[in-house]
Amino acid sequence: MIKFSKKTYLYKIYTWMPLIILYISVFNEFDFNYLNLEYFSFNFPFILIFYFSLKEYHHFDFFLVFIAGLINDTVVGLPLGISSLSYILICIFASYLRNITIRPHLIKDWFYFLFTISLINSVNYSILFLFFSFELEIVFFLINNFFTFLFYIFFTTIFNRYLKGINE
Amino acid sequence: MASSRDDFIIAIRSAFLKKSTKQKFSLLTLVFLSAFIILLSNLDLKPIRVLKSIISEIVFRSSFLVSIPENFLLSSYLNIKEYSNYHKEFKITKEELNELKSENISSKIIKSENEELKILIDGYFSSKNKILAKVIVDHESPFLKTIIINKGSKEKIKIGTNIYDRSYLVGRVIEVNYTTSRILLLSDLNSSVPVSITPGNVQAIVNGTGDKKGEIKYIKGNLIDNIKSRSIAYTSGTGSIFKSGKPVGRIELYEENNIKKILIDFYSDFSQLKYVFAEVEGEIIEKQNFEEKKSTNLSTEKIKLDLINEELEIFKDTNLKFIDENQNLKTEINRLNEKMYILEKKNNEYKNSAKKEQIDQEELEFLRLNLLYSNRCQSKKLFSTGYNIGSKEYKDCIMRKGKKIRKGKKIND
Repeated sequence: MIKFSKKTYLYKIYTWMPLIILYISVFNEFDFNYLNLEYFSFNFPFILIFYFSLKEYHHFDFFLVFIAGLINDTVVGLPLGISSLSYILICIFASYLRNITIRPHLIKDWFYFLFTISLINSVNYSILFLFFSFELEIVFFLINNFFTFLFYIFFTTIFNRYLKGINE
Repeated sequence: MASSRDDFIIAIRSAFLKKSTKQKFSLLTLVFLSAFIILLSNLDLKPIRVLKSIISEIVFRSSFLVSIPENFLLSSYLNIKEYSNYHKEFKITKEELNELKSENISSKIIKSENEELKILIDGYFSSKNKILAKVIVDHESPFLKTIIINKGSKEKIKIGTNIYDRSYLVGRVIEVNYTTSRILLLSDLNSSVPVSITPGNVQAIVNGTGDKKGEIKYIKGNLIDNIKSRSIAYTSGTGSIFKSGKPVGRIELYEENNIKKILIDFYSDFSQLKYVFAEVEGEIIEKQNFEEKKSTNLSTEKIKLDLINEELEIFKDTNLKFIDENQNLKTEINRLNEKMYILEKKNNEYKNSAKKEQIDQEELEFLRLNLLYSNRCQSKKLFSTGYNIGSKEYKDCIMRKGKKIRKGKKIND
């Protein structure tokens, strides 16, 4: 594994990596849509935000997450504030889970994540449909929800290794 | 019970209000801030519009920069794929070129006719100009099908400006910033385009499906059968949102659970858009050199020619189908005539047999009555009041049950 000296700039960039990746993903809509698989899409920022809020990562600033939401809205073309609200709600749910959990368990976190993203996607869909009269396909939301849930485990493994590298 | 409720409240309060050492704002503050921004974005106020425009400008440019590595990887992959297909494509193109050459003369005639007809339609040729714009953000979101171009209000682009890929319609502008604009693609669920479908000149509305193809949803029920597969759809200009006569796509017919579905395969591949044309009113702002213009015009002409050729092919196909159908109908008529002749013959036979049966019945009745009334009708030697046996009068008398008629006077026995 790569080891950094803790005083170098490279190490500092490495510690800010979750937020950098979050910003790249919102600027770029990172969801593998260019694979052209029918209906396939997942929400990578949801996974990243939930994981690092749950782990209370010290470089994961909620205000910057909020700004990332605004950028995502601008790039996707949604009304400003929708994604910010979703991201902050994920942070709240993750913080609540962290507060009530004494012994963390991956599977419990996983299903709690499913509950959280389902609720947030429903809120999103309702706001867009009722207040902004957007024509949206609910199937896309369901499939996006399902794949986001599936990919959580995969990304958790990668993020665990990242945190392990930081702590070492 | 009370302690568990307390725990829940403490956990909730902690989640909402507690700030970690590095956090600048509590989550509750950020929730309120998000709700406030959503509320503001719902209001159509000028300062908010300006602010949104500034944010969009910065974000779109940044998004373009951030997308460079990904776009580079993607374009490299596509280039490699393209190179591997060159030989195959070359053969196909050669064949197509030969076909086109042979059809060129007839196309020229049709083209001149077409142009004459177009001039007759008022407002078809207007002084609008097309400017070239680069697609700077194209993320193919599964929810909203939009792209961002590098031309905005600076180049006189307005909300509703029509956007083309070569001559094919791809969408319209829904958001304008100073140097960028957002285009709503035809494939988006919120997109509706009034079209004419030829052959048949059927008027319809094409809606986006969120997928690569559109769907024709609003059409008069009795006109559905007039639409044929591979027909061409072009903008009708109804509602003045889109200019008339712009090619949109080809018709594809599907049937699912006995429900006829009419899809439209767009001419333009929206996932491959690099440059598009925006149709602005007034003078051309961007100075294109003569060669570029010439090549654009040539390609536009070529596309039009292709379209007319395709239309011709459809007419030919339809004609052939009609001829086939006609022949089938003739054969069917002959078969039915034969059947009719046989049935007529049978009918005559039945009629004859019925007649014969009726005669037999009469004979039988005569014989029965003869047994009863022969004495009354027979001629006797002493008093010649009867008739000779076998004569018509005798038979009539028997049938009248022995009643005789003499010189217009009826005599009762």
